[in-house]
Amino acid sequence: MAVYANGEDFVRQGFTSKDGWAITFDHAYVTLADVTAYQTEPAYDPEASESLKAQEQITVAESKTVDLAEGDEQANPILIAEVDAPEGHYNALSWQMAEASDGPAAGSVLMLVGTAQKEGQTVNFTLQLGNEVTYTCGDFVGDERKGILKAGNSADLEATFHFDHIFGDGSAAPDDSLNTGALGFEPLAALASGGELVVDQATLQQSLAPEDYATLEKAVSGFGHVGEGHCGADS
Amino acid sequence: MFGTARHAYAHGVSMSYQTTEVIEIQGKYDSGEPMADAQVAVYAPDDPSTPWLTGTADDQGVFMFKPDLSQPGNWEVQFRLAGHGDIMTIPVDAESNPVGTRGSTGGLNSVQKLIVFGAMTWGFVGTALYFSGRKQRMQKSADSGLQSTPSQF
Repeated sequence: MAVYANGEDFVRQGFTSKDGWAITFDHAYVTLADVTAYQTEPAYDPEASESLKAQEQITVAESKTVDLAEGDEQANPILIAEVDAPEGHYNALSWQMAEASDGPAAGSVLMLVGTAQKEGQTVNFTLQLGNEVTYTCGDFVGDERKGILKAGNSADLEATFHFDHIFGDGSAAPDDSLNTGALGFEPLAALASGGELVVDQATLQQSLAPEDYATLEKAVSGFGHVGEGHCGADS
Repeated sequence: MFGTARHAYAHGVSMSYQTTEVIEIQGKYDSGEPMADAQVAVYAPDDPSTPWLTGTADDQGVFMFKPDLSQPGNWEVQFRLAGHGDIMTIPVDAESNPVGTRGSTGGLNSVQKLIVFGAMTWGFVGTALYFSGRKQRMQKSADSGLQSTPSQF
């Protein structure tokens, strides 16, 4: 069983936030720990109160920091690990978005490095979020089924990260719940000085308006997905 | 004794009906807005990788299908629309009773009875899928896109 991390085209190709900032990413470091795939019966529903009941599970032994912005605009999702696994339908996936212990993102759970531009303004940003979140997700939802492993074959699963949940999507309606629940980039741009913004979680908590910081925290809780499928979040 | 006149019409109509059970699913966003024209894929227990049926929800986000009762087990139904999506499992036993349990507002309801004009549908299970809003770019993954075909049952 191969497990991949995917920031989608939002992070590979850039996008326009809900408030009109054109955002591109040089790096989007995220560290995944305790990555576990499950065969569950009944199927796990992250929006229900029932706990996940696994008949079989496999775990990736080591945590790994990946750069979701790695590669060109057409880059593939990034392999986290390949694990020998019993056959079956792995219809749930969980992982912790954990603090990186070393490397360029050391000390951060999620580190976003890039540029935002709007109406002649440019902000070079480095956002270093530090609050760990555990995502527990159901079945992958997308163009194809994933996680169905037959004897002697291989299969894959995907931890998907939705950057539009944090910044919003300028191509969606302003009153789309995606945008009403997203922080956007304007509150962050307001913290920049001389076109530079380097902030960590503590600074954001101190500097953002309380309602904006709450929106950011909630958006990060909804950041992890399995394709288009949703996850529960514990922090 | 009076006779009863019978009239023969050139455009006679023959009507008949049968009853059967179908599963009805409604996809809604958490705002309550129906997932109109959502892409739907139904997976049978015997082959969860390949859609057994694909189709499109109606303008109320409703999709109905009649499972093949020779395949008891977990039937899975995926709704997708413009980057929003979810999948639900509907256990169906050999006695033709959908016994599903999922739904954000309380799960599959008990079997309800409904007669649809034309006498094709009789008895369905209703539930709702709820999705939080999202409009995404195409995600990068191996491709085997859904082929949308008219729903049929």
